[in-house]
Amino acid sequence: MEKKFGVYICKGCGIGEAINVDELKKTTAGGARIAAELIKDHEILCSPAGLELIKNDVNEGTNCVVIGACSPRVKFEEFDFPGTITERVNLREFVAWTMEPNNEDTQSVAEDYMKMGVIKVQKGDLPAPNILENLSNTLMVIGGGITGITAALEAANAGYKVYLVEKEVELGGWSAKLYKETPRVYPYDKLDEPRIFDKIKEVEANENVTIYKSTKVEKTDGQPGLFDVTLNTNGSMQTVKVGAFVMAAGWKPYDASKLVHLGYGNPNVITNVQMEEIAKKGKIVRPSDGKEAKKIAFIQCAGSRDANHLPYCSSFCCSTSLKQAKYVREKNSDAVAMIFYKDIRTPGQTELFYKNMQNDPGVLLTKGDVTAVTDAGNGNLYIEAENTLLGEKIKVEADLVVLATGIVPATRATQEYFDALTEAGKKGDEARKAFLDETPKPDSILNLTYRQGPEIPSLEGAYGFADSNFICFQYETRRTGIYTAGCVKQPMTMADAADDAAGAALKAIQCVEHVAQGMAVHPRAWDTTFPDPLMIKCTSCKRCTEECPFGAIDEDEKGTPFYRINRCRRCGTCMGACPERIVSFKDFSVDIVGSMIKGGLDVPDEGARVIVLACENDAYPALDSAAIKKLKLHPGVRIIPVRCLGSTNLVWVTDALSRGIDGLLLLGCKYGENYQCHFVKGSELANYRFSKLQETLSKLQLEEDRCQLMQVAISEYDQLPKMIDDFMKRIDEVGPNPFKGF
Amino acid sequence: MAEQIIKPDVNFINDIIAAGGESVKKCFQCATCSVVCNVTPEDNPFPRKEMINAQWGLKDRLFSNPDVWLCHQCSDCTAYCPRGAKPGEVLNAVRKLSIQHYATPGFLAKAVASPKALIGLLAVPVIIFIIAIMMQGHSFFPEGEIIYAEKFMKVPYIDVIFSAAALFAVFGFIMGISRYWKDLTRDMGVSSNPWQRKVKGPMIAIIFETILEFITHKRFKKCEVTKDRANTHLFVFFGFVGLAITTTWAIAYLYGYEFFGIKAFSVFHFGESPYPLYDPMKILGNVSALLLLAGILQVITNRRKNAEKAGAGSYFDWLFIGIITSIVVTGILSEVLRLVDVRMLAYPTYFIHLVSVFFLFAYAPFSKMAHMVYRTTALVFAKYSGREEKKF
Repeated sequence: MEKKFGVYICKGCGIGEAINVDELKKTTAGGARIAAELIKDHEILCSPAGLELIKNDVNEGTNCVVIGACSPRVKFEEFDFPGTITERVNLREFVAWTMEPNNEDTQSVAEDYMKMGVIKVQKGDLPAPNILENLSNTLMVIGGGITGITAALEAANAGYKVYLVEKEVELGGWSAKLYKETPRVYPYDKLDEPRIFDKIKEVEANENVTIYKSTKVEKTDGQPGLFDVTLNTNGSMQTVKVGAFVMAAGWKPYDASKLVHLGYGNPNVITNVQMEEIAKKGKIVRPSDGKEAKKIAFIQCAGSRDANHLPYCSSFCCSTSLKQAKYVREKNSDAVAMIFYKDIRTPGQTELFYKNMQNDPGVLLTKGDVTAVTDAGNGNLYIEAENTLLGEKIKVEADLVVLATGIVPATRATQEYFDALTEAGKKGDEARKAFLDETPKPDSILNLTYRQGPEIPSLEGAYGFADSNFICFQYETRRTGIYTAGCVKQPMTMADAADDAAGAALKAIQCVEHVAQGMAVHPRAWDTTFPDPLMIKCTSCKRCTEECPFGAIDEDEKGTPFYRINRCRRCGTCMGACPERIVSFKDFSVDIVGSMIKGGLDVPDEGARVIVLACENDAYPALDSAAIKKLKLHPGVRIIPVRCLGSTNLVWVTDALSRGIDGLLLLGCKYGENYQCHFVKGSELANYRFSKLQETLSKLQLEEDRCQLMQVAISEYDQLPKMIDDFMKRIDEVGPNPFKGF
Repeated sequence: MAEQIIKPDVNFINDIIAAGGESVKKCFQCATCSVVCNVTPEDNPFPRKEMINAQWGLKDRLFSNPDVWLCHQCSDCTAYCPRGAKPGEVLNAVRKLSIQHYATPGFLAKAVASPKALIGLLAVPVIIFIIAIMMQGHSFFPEGEIIYAEKFMKVPYIDVIFSAAALFAVFGFIMGISRYWKDLTRDMGVSSNPWQRKVKGPMIAIIFETILEFITHKRFKKCEVTKDRANTHLFVFFGFVGLAITTTWAIAYLYGYEFFGIKAFSVFHFGESPYPLYDPMKILGNVSALLLLAGILQVITNRRKNAEKAGAGSYFDWLFIGIITSIVVTGILSEVLRLVDVRMLAYPTYFIHLVSVFFLFAYAPFSKMAHMVYRTTALVFAKYSGREEKKF
């Protein structure tokens, strides 16, 4: 493409008052070698007249648009010129709002940013999407409970073919085992009939849905749009092709046999699941003698929120016990339900149900820690509790005890197995082998053929739930194209699970649609660029395959890496990892950033000059926030956004330092997989690479303090100016880069 | 603290609900009530614990708990309750049930609490007085100058009927209070109730202190939401005290003349009913009646004004207020109608007055009137047991 430039500088929002725009136009023309008449300014560039100015040029053939105005994080709809390479230079936030107006330093900052913007476009190219062939847009839903059926119906009603896979003989999951459901509609005072049976009928009648009962996933191969899934139906195998997954494998109740301290083992101590079975048959009778139970004690958090059992809250048990108390009372108005709780947790509108139930004279509630459940003779039981609202220690008699047991995700067993394997591996190969020999391997649900393991990875501290890595993006998992929903993701009520299912179905649809356009999925869902390696230079060092957080790079039989591009989320971690620097995106490459560093900024003889590589997802918005608050940034820094700190290639350090830049500061996310790095652990990887930098620096006879990585959360914008100032202070102490002027 | 076996009683919960504590189950034990209460002792404050005990129907715990009566139903708790559980109303219902529980005979207590039994209860004095009038051979509308004691209801009849009613009430109170005291002191020293420490002081001093507290309404004045209640209650209280003195004084006039031959002297009109308006006894009586009228009218307006914040009150409360209102209104009217000589209205008004007074007297141990005795007992016990260490 023959590039035809247009450079536009906005004078609005204080830019015109802070810098000399005429001067800036001149220096941009000179520094970036752009014809002066191609550089225009406007009082308010985002106004209709301002946009008209750009559009007229675009219509006349301008295909490279550099806009010096506000942050690219705002006004992206206004400054959208399809078919062009558009680069936004952040003059407003990074210059006008954060620097002293009208001084030499400020003018120089603006000039550098403009030059870098132009260079980026000069070096970059218009993206062309990478669309794979024979893509499938069929979805597979794993799990035929309320979540799975809802997801299948939502997707099917949106016009997509769905394979619904259920390992049991019948659809319905736990919902089908219920006697009644907690109220679903205002005023939340009547128990509802289980809705699952209507849904089962609906899904069975839907022609877009193919149902596989008694079926497990034997193997999942491939990538979004091109998954090959091997299904095992009672031993007979078949392979189907799907585009994306909703994984709703659900949960199972916590093993009550571990709750001996709460009396489990006594026939009249039952779980909430058993209670539903009894209620379904009619009167509430106790198992030991079939007598009708009239004094029923419910023990909440039975094995939940308990460090020795499940440390978390299962979210549904409180409303379930209240529901059971309600039908106990409805079946027999003489019956009493006594509920011992740690805290009543009735999420959302269920609170109204709780309030209604509280008003029932026969529903007695107290906070308290149940310390013992003992035999009181006659099949009755004594419940002893401490720290109750009724007094320090109390004892009540009941003829039936219901333990409100919690949720264990279907993925927990696999997670525990692999956690234990990792632990064993730390002790050496022999321990690892012994573990593998001795421990039966639990059934996995997806059986992915990914190098990172067969299942959706659980977060550290997520107790085996297939939770997302992204607090802001709940449906995401670290396996592109596979979206979890329902209780396999986190404990939730049926109403929440149904909502969750609809969301996950939409995400799966978005995935197949994006893949069909060669577009990335979350979090760069607009992005049609992709990593395009110059394979001829590949040394098969496998750093990229090791470091890719999404398993998008595999190796062929010869050990040469290849991309399964639909798994890729375009973070550029491979680009940062590659020692041969062969990985490039059309608008982001080692060369582009290197050229910006080398050609884009003036390095003065006096005064420190520092480059800040800022993560686009957290650090950059934090810098914008600092600007919105009109906090002052040091005029010696030049900020360059990167897709993820994981994309930082070490050659940039060499580029910068050899150019005479005094220091390099990396601003990235907090470490640890629980911190919500958009790409799992980019900044950690960058830090790891930085630790290897010492060698390079000493080779150049430079102080390692010149390069630092700082962790910053998006909310810590107020600390950013100081962090940068401290770094600048350190650079002043270290002294000017000896390469200055070479 | 000892472990207690808890025996929830759903019937009792239903009773509380029926007795005006229909909000009891709403409580979620945040204890805002105990924080805002100005009347509660600092240790183990009420009404938070009373609320959960009520929710679980733990009758014994509530009845033997003096705190139920230490509460003056300021309704600060009710006003601040975030859940609309109205602890003030609930405790009021518990007190009502407590009166019923200790009252002897029990059926009368139930009757007094039930609107359905009102006619029957009223019928008793109505019939008694009709019979008395007929026995004296009096007309229901006697001719000539209005003299109630001569032409309508002679003193001996009054004395016999009301003495009997008073004796009946006293008997009821003695029975009730002795059972109540037994329950209060049952677990003394060994109880799981922490305030029942065995702190003994001279009983007389304690009773004296309690009475002093009454006269000043010190405790009552700590109320905030229903600030005026202490004053209106003081009006009613002193109205009653004044009327009690008046009654004693009148007895002295009557029997002083009859048995000791004391003749009228100066402004003191021994033996000369109806007494002239300038007689000090008459002045005291009229002033007390006006005090009582002012008090009870304020009670009614305040209750209506505060209904939203403090609760509307139950039948039990309003019956008591109604009877007092009836006594004072018919009392004053009887006097006024006599003075203006409206015979056809004066006698029926006086008749209603007699019925109302009888109602208040005879049913005192079963009605809200009993609060006087139970609260006194509870306060004495609280001081006696060390529950009340803080001086007001």
